Amino acid sequence: MSQESSNLTRRNFITRAAGAGMVLGAPGLLKAADPSSADTLHVALVGFGKQGEVLFNCLRNIPGLHFQAVCDISNWNRKKGMNQVRALQGSVPKGYVDIDEMLATEKGLDAVVIATPDFWHSPHTVKCLEAGLNVYCEKMMSNTIEGARAMVHAMEKSGKLCQIGHQRRSNPRYRYTLDQLINGHKICGQITNINAQWNRSLGASQDIGGKKLAKGIIVPDDVLGKYGFKDMHQFMNWRTYRSLSGGPISDLGAHQIDIFGWFLNDAKPKAVYATGGNSYFKDREHFDNVMCIFDFDTPEGEVRAFYQVLTTTSAGGGFWESFMGTEATIKISEIAANSAIYREDGAPPWDDLVNKGYLKRKPAPPKPAPSADAVASYASAAPEEFELPGGFSKPAHQPHLENFFNSVRGDATLNCDARHAFESEAPIYWVNPSALEKRRIDFTAEHLSV
Amino acid sequence: MNSSEKTDTLALTYGALLARLWLGVRALQTGIEKYGGNKISEKVVDIDGAPNEYGLTSEGADKVYSMANYHGVPEALFTKFQGEPLMTEWSLKIYDKVLGPALIILGITILLGIASRTSMFVLGLLYISLTWGLILLGTPGQSGVAWLGTHMLIIIAALALSRHNRLCILKKW
Repeated sequence: MSQESSNLTRRNFITRAAGAGMVLGAPGLLKAADPSSADTLHVALVGFGKQGEVLFNCLRNIPGLHFQAVCDISNWNRKKGMNQVRALQGSVPKGYVDIDEMLATEKGLDAVVIATPDFWHSPHTVKCLEAGLNVYCEKMMSNTIEGARAMVHAMEKSGKLCQIGHQRRSNPRYRYTLDQLINGHKICGQITNINAQWNRSLGASQDIGGKKLAKGIIVPDDVLGKYGFKDMHQFMNWRTYRSLSGGPISDLGAHQIDIFGWFLNDAKPKAVYATGGNSYFKDREHFDNVMCIFDFDTPEGEVRAFYQVLTTTSAGGGFWESFMGTEATIKISEIAANSAIYREDGAPPWDDLVNKGYLKRKPAPPKPAPSADAVASYASAAPEEFELPGGFSKPAHQPHLENFFNSVRGDATLNCDARHAFESEAPIYWVNPSALEKRRIDFTAEHLSV
Repeated sequence: MNSSEKTDTLALTYGALLARLWLGVRALQTGIEKYGGNKISEKVVDIDGAPNEYGLTSEGADKVYSMANYHGVPEALFTKFQGEPLMTEWSLKIYDKVLGPALIILGITILLGIASRTSMFVLGLLYISLTWGLILLGTPGQSGVAWLGTHMLIIIAALALSRHNRLCILKKW
């Protein structure tokens, strides 16, 4: 059975739940959008694994959404999603294994949120756009550059909206940093280098699922085969397979490499050279550690951008992006505590910016004791440390989803539509080839254009 | 009675009142604080004299009192006591429920002078129970034991001065 329709309407549910269970459902009912209201947007959730659940936990905070259907090939994930929707809005959404059946059956949908494995992003997005739906799709756009191109073409042909989940593009801290500090007050001077990393510990990088999976989690072999998975290991660990994903450089790196070009005012790199290997996870198809350098030419001059994704250590503070200029360095991360702004000794003073509230000064660290160390005499003076004047307390993905639904309503424009996302992601598709072939790749229009 | 004895009586009355006030305020406010908690509030940050358009916010914590905030025994200590073999779970739960209201009631009776001697005696018993709990915690509780010891000295002083106690609603007991 691929469709789990339910006769449990909202009214029935309320009646049935009037006993003990009602207490738990009540807060959700208060938040639920009225499905019959003209202002309500009807949404389908496609893919309700770990990332799908992360997105749903943001969506539930956005008013005016009605979750009409949940689609996932895993019974476990699909039922989890349907239960969470029921707890929120009091009505059980339709459940589907197959997206084609969902699109053929469901009427009145406005948008879909896609959080399936990377190799399904493009087929799913294209189908939904062709069906006349607006799409929010997780990044990386696709496991292949051709797949990503198809998404851009489908978006432009359909005239529908397609937002890609580079959520930093809607993060208030990132937007403020670019608009006010880098472009507005030009505190960095000339940005000459970028350095970024996502270092993840060995413990957090292990395969998902043990040798013996709980019965309820197992997806039947015929279903797995139909949807492109060889077995349960592939289904649960698709990120480690070359035919299903781009590996760590796209899974983790894409978020941060996206910021490079964006903070350089949509500059495009002219080359990449990368190295990588299986330092620890010898049996994985994808590299477990990758390092790469992108060369950019900007109107202000050359910029070299180094990026590393390591799945064997969390050293160096996890994940962050650092924009190093002649007058300041901005180290920014989705985790506010990992962020800092350093003013170079000799740069123009920032007292006025601090007084007006554009920046906050951090207390100066204690001066080191005088040292006879010969190296110390060559060291630069320690830069002063500053921080952003504020943060935000929503889940990381929520502003990006809010931007998407505001755009669907016509109240905003997308912060990362498929075309802009493609321009940002295209260079990333060439990192693994560069590392595999052990050569620098000089980009041509063929590499980067739609 | 000579004049020097009159001066001594006034001083002793002041002493009795001060000891009573200290103990009353200490008990009452400690009991009320058990209902205190922080309400986190968020406000949009002003930049260049106006609220920023990016939605950058800063968090502030406002202290509020409510029944929902009540913790008789602070959470961190409660967990530690749960691991103590001499502390039974049921007695810990009762103590947790009773401690705050008991401190408030004793604070009020001591401040208003309602059965002052008995109220101070009961407060002393309460401080002994707290001392016992802190002894169970070993080294981390030692400074607390010392603090409670000073409380006990003040109670003993107040009881010793009870003959000079004035401004009472109910002098008996």
